[in-house]
Amino acid sequence: MTAYIIRRLLQMIPTMLGVVLLLFVLFNWVGGDPAYILAGKMSNEAQIANIRHQLGVDQPAYVQIGIFLKQIVTADFGSSWSTNEPVSDILKTRLGPSLTVMAPLMVLGTLLAIALSLVVARLRRSLTDRTVMVACTVGMSVSILVYIIVFQYVFAYRLGWFPVQGWGDSLWTNLTTFAVLPILIGLCVGLAPDLRLYRSFVLDEIDQDYVRTARAKGLSEMRILWIHVLRNASIPIVTCVMSSLPALLVGSFLIERFFSIPGIGREVLLAVERSDFPVIKAIAVYVAFATMFANLAADLIYKAVDPRVELK
Amino acid sequence: MRLRWDGLKGRAVRRLSMKAMLLSLAWLIFSLAASTEAAPLKVLRMAFQTAETGFDPPRVSDLYSNTVNEAIFERLLTYDYLARPARLIPMTATALPEITDGGKTYTFHLRPGIRFSPDPAFGGKPRELTAADYVYSFKRALDPKLRSPWAFMLEGKIIGLDALAEAAKKSGKYDYDAEVEGLKTPDRYTLQIRLREPDYNFSYIAAHTPFSAVAREVVEKYGDDTMAHPVGTGPYVLKQWTRGARIVLEKNSEYRGRVWDFAASEDGDEELVREMQGKRLPLIDRVEISIIEEEQSAWLAFNRKELDFGGVGSFREQVFDEKKELKPEWRAQGVKLSRAIAPEVTYTFFNFRDPVVGGFSKEKRALRRAIIMAYNRDEEIDVIRKGQAILATMPIPVGVVGHDSRYQPLNAYNPALANKLLDAYGFKKGKNGFRAMPDGTPLLLKFATGTTALERQFNELWKKAMDSIGVRIEFQPGKFADFIKASQACQLQMWGAAWTADYPDGDNFMQLLYGPNTNQSNHGCYESKAFDAFYEASRKLPDSPERNRLFLEMTRQMEVDGAWALGLSRESNTLIRPWVLGYKKHPILSATWVYLDIDTEKAPTKAEAP
Amino acid sequence: MTEAILSSVTTVAEKRGNGFWSLAWQRFRDDRVGLVSLVIVAAFLVVVLLSATGLVAGNWNQEVAIHDAPPDLWGLLKPAAPAVVENAMHQEQVTPTAESIEEWKNIEAMLSATVVDPLADTLQALGADHETVAVVKEKRASLPFGGDRWGRDVLSKTIKGSQTSIIVGLSAALLATLLGTVLGALAGYYGGRIDDALNWFYNVFSAIPYLLLILAVAAVLQQRGVTTVILILGLTGWSGVFRLIRAEYIKHRGREYVQAAHAFGVPNRRILFFHILPNVFHVVLVNISILAVGFIKAEVILSYLGFGVKVDEVSWGSMLNDAQGELILGRWWELVAAGGAMALLVTAFSLLTDAMRDAMDPKIQKAS
Repeated sequence: MTAYIIRRLLQMIPTMLGVVLLLFVLFNWVGGDPAYILAGKMSNEAQIANIRHQLGVDQPAYVQIGIFLKQIVTADFGSSWSTNEPVSDILKTRLGPSLTVMAPLMVLGTLLAIALSLVVARLRRSLTDRTVMVACTVGMSVSILVYIIVFQYVFAYRLGWFPVQGWGDSLWTNLTTFAVLPILIGLCVGLAPDLRLYRSFVLDEIDQDYVRTARAKGLSEMRILWIHVLRNASIPIVTCVMSSLPALLVGSFLIERFFSIPGIGREVLLAVERSDFPVIKAIAVYVAFATMFANLAADLIYKAVDPRVELK
Repeated sequence: MRLRWDGLKGRAVRRLSMKAMLLSLAWLIFSLAASTEAAPLKVLRMAFQTAETGFDPPRVSDLYSNTVNEAIFERLLTYDYLARPARLIPMTATALPEITDGGKTYTFHLRPGIRFSPDPAFGGKPRELTAADYVYSFKRALDPKLRSPWAFMLEGKIIGLDALAEAAKKSGKYDYDAEVEGLKTPDRYTLQIRLREPDYNFSYIAAHTPFSAVAREVVEKYGDDTMAHPVGTGPYVLKQWTRGARIVLEKNSEYRGRVWDFAASEDGDEELVREMQGKRLPLIDRVEISIIEEEQSAWLAFNRKELDFGGVGSFREQVFDEKKELKPEWRAQGVKLSRAIAPEVTYTFFNFRDPVVGGFSKEKRALRRAIIMAYNRDEEIDVIRKGQAILATMPIPVGVVGHDSRYQPLNAYNPALANKLLDAYGFKKGKNGFRAMPDGTPLLLKFATGTTALERQFNELWKKAMDSIGVRIEFQPGKFADFIKASQACQLQMWGAAWTADYPDGDNFMQLLYGPNTNQSNHGCYESKAFDAFYEASRKLPDSPERNRLFLEMTRQMEVDGAWALGLSRESNTLIRPWVLGYKKHPILSATWVYLDIDTEKAPTKAEAP
Repeated sequence: MTEAILSSVTTVAEKRGNGFWSLAWQRFRDDRVGLVSLVIVAAFLVVVLLSATGLVAGNWNQEVAIHDAPPDLWGLLKPAAPAVVENAMHQEQVTPTAESIEEWKNIEAMLSATVVDPLADTLQALGADHETVAVVKEKRASLPFGGDRWGRDVLSKTIKGSQTSIIVGLSAALLATLLGTVLGALAGYYGGRIDDALNWFYNVFSAIPYLLLILAVAAVLQQRGVTTVILILGLTGWSGVFRLIRAEYIKHRGREYVQAAHAFGVPNRRILFFHILPNVFHVVLVNISILAVGFIKAEVILSYLGFGVKVDEVSWGSMLNDAQGELILGRWWELVAAGGAMALLVTAFSLLTDAMRDAMDPKIQKAS
């Protein structure tokens, strides 16, 4: 087990190197020259050269990549080029709002999807099952942009159930007032795909021999469903949930922009617009790490839940 | 949220026992009594459309950061709130500068006793503003390490300052203690600035927010983090800042105060004067600014009274009637409308070094002018700008010194004539309906464009225009920075740009067409000897009829050469909630809340704000 | 996500010849929802064909009605009377007084003395001086499904948009699936170094946040248009397929029929694409449709980010983004038309995918 974890951790190094290289190529060579943005509305060659020198983008590529690697090792990405804010501060302050929306969304979405999937799987092929599934499919077929525009207009503006936009200072206000509508939209868009997926996992289990055996033993249908079937179906569900965890970090930039939530997604857009490479680098690297650890965690949980799984 | 709160309260009250109810009643009476003693806080809630970058005056170039800086820091001069066209008045100076030596020496006298807002950097002692602070601040703008986007306004102007910057580039250290010949302080409160050439616009620079006074102790204490520690002498201080989301300003307790004393200059000003005259500024206790990027979100927030100002923007049908007056439902709410033309001009330039559209031959002039004549600006105003803009007739917009409303443009919209002109100069139509160059090579325009929804609409209109004269056009999407880079290298064929006045003088606009500014602000690389001669002559003159005549000649020259397709000047229409008093859009000043008041009786209670 | 759906399919999809596909079709025929979906999807495809050949909606770009023409379904039966729209020229904002005209004449004389216009004679000859243009056009006051801000027919736009969006969705899905399948097959079949290298590439690719990846690829591709959109989506969306197909090939390479082919000396290339591929083809098929649905939706987001189709092209994404701020103004028709058409297609497509999957999964049949 320990050996396995160590090997997986070591494997992260070449992956990270690849991420570094890809990011560098994509953003340093084609991502726009930050000097021209920072120079303001009127600039000349000397000023541009000065800015490039200050930023260090006039150095040879290998030096810049070396600096990048050092930044990853020391976890210090310096300051934003356009606002001079330390990158670590940017991540610290923007992560909270993103998670305030995404974490409850994830928890609620997963729980709801699991509960519903057990119910509809049991009623498989019934009218209820069909209706729920078709309704869900219709729900996920509407573009998130349409949801945002319509919900903001109808529920926030017309009916006044929620604030139109905004963000407060306390977690509680944010959770109970500002994040409610965004979470609702997230559920509309995200519940259906999860439900469809989990339903198929449950269906896989429900036909297994052990279920029949349990029924034969006279166990209650509820018990069979919620204990036996769920335990086995939870393996692929856990994998799914783990693999979608890194997405929590980036949040949904669309929701963040329309509801003026100061989260990471909005920051990514802003950073790309401003060619703010330190911010882009930091966010990408942290998300890459999160992805790799989430994958590792998923495999370990897989092993823990189902001892038959062999780790190699 | 108010609805929800009330609901909760109602339920809670029903559950309370008698005793608790009495207790709470007593508490209620007590708190009511207490609240009548303290005057209610005057809070202004507004929105910015894009994220700010920071609050170190010479370091930031975006409108919104500048706006906040305008309220926190002070310049030597500022503008009269009501005078139109905008007029300079003293701010920390006692009077307008004495200009001597034929426009080469400016002498400012500072008001004694002005204090910076308290900061740990001052070690607990009061810190007075002196002339040396301005010397430091001017020097700072040229510090290579600071890479100020405003350096261009001082470069080549003040005697000895450029040499200091040059030396720093070599040694790596900018010497703030070095004596600069052009920046002298004969006494504590006198600042004498000496220029290399006569410049009658230097007073405007002294009124420009990036050249506000900062304190050296503060800059040195916070080093790289000055963006987050603005310490100035102005009426407001930064109270709370969640980057890219929320900026809260509060009254500066140390501010010396200032009396609202402006004379009416336009219709409708009388009411403002009546409301505000003699009041002691600042009056607003707290300014809460939210960053709301989406127009829809900001508009809905204003409608829900979450904001005190609302930009009309795309939502004109909801606001204006047929005659472009406020609809009755708004007037019934007491909402006021402030309308003003921005001191800006949009334009599409042609690259004069481009093999397709560049050059001064008759054919190329004809091509450019035909393209200009084919573009329907009226439709742009009507459909894209939602009726909220006026046609630009000169490179100098309305409200800026040098604009002449009598001038009639040469290349007015006329697609029929444009077609005839192209026919006359041999741009023949091929089988596919598109024209070729006179020598038979294909004619293809490459138009640089960004990725916003607005730019997409421009492209639709340009495509339509070019189709109407049989000229093929392709849109090249890209990033702003790349376009600036390409245009400075004279490699961008056509691009739409806009220029907003840094100061309300025609020179600020005409320099965009001056030949030697190629590779800088002259993005079209337009180098016309005739134009340059007019421009150079104008530089030597103060504001005068002769100079205005030169501006007209420059405009005509630019049109004859077909250098720009002139666009328009936007009209800002702002809705104001009835409790906000004294608002009028200023062409240059943007932190107008400094001059406002709030009628707390009309203002909504802030009870629901957590 | 998708691999889990598919794993259920693959477990049973081993031994099969023609019987498998005909059996699947039989099962599919019994699925009423599936059939209805198939009809809807087919109808959309017909629309795409008709619009691609220019038979319908060829004139979507023409301004046939007044700006923001309201919808009027009756118009389908009885077209609204045309309204005469004068292309108003308000070049001069203020009517000049006699005095100012005189002043202007003086200025003009002064200007023509100091500023030389080489084109003056030509323009004079063309009669430029006093010609005023007033374009009068007849335009419709309403349209069955309304008009957009330029007065273009929303119905035509929706039809033309469905062409673009469906082509984008399908092509990008094909591209992504092709990439994922080829790379996955190579990695899964050969294993070893090749597998390590491709797996590394996959890991790197999937570790970078999707939003950043899209923005970066869009910046690299520069030129915009349908092809670019397809490339952006296709090049960033292959990783899921890769994982699936790789797993399939790892499973299959140990199977008897592959061993046998080896023994007969069949070249690897043939085994890869002629022996194994047909056996995992149902995975590929279901994947294409899942990806297509995802990409049709993603195109909207790309348009929002400004990486959508060109100005002379229209897609559902570009329509939704154009219509973004119009709901508040009471102009709901473009939003509803594009959003509704998209929802209908995506729903039908998804249900069709479900039906396909069910049809290829005999387990479900057995159970019911």
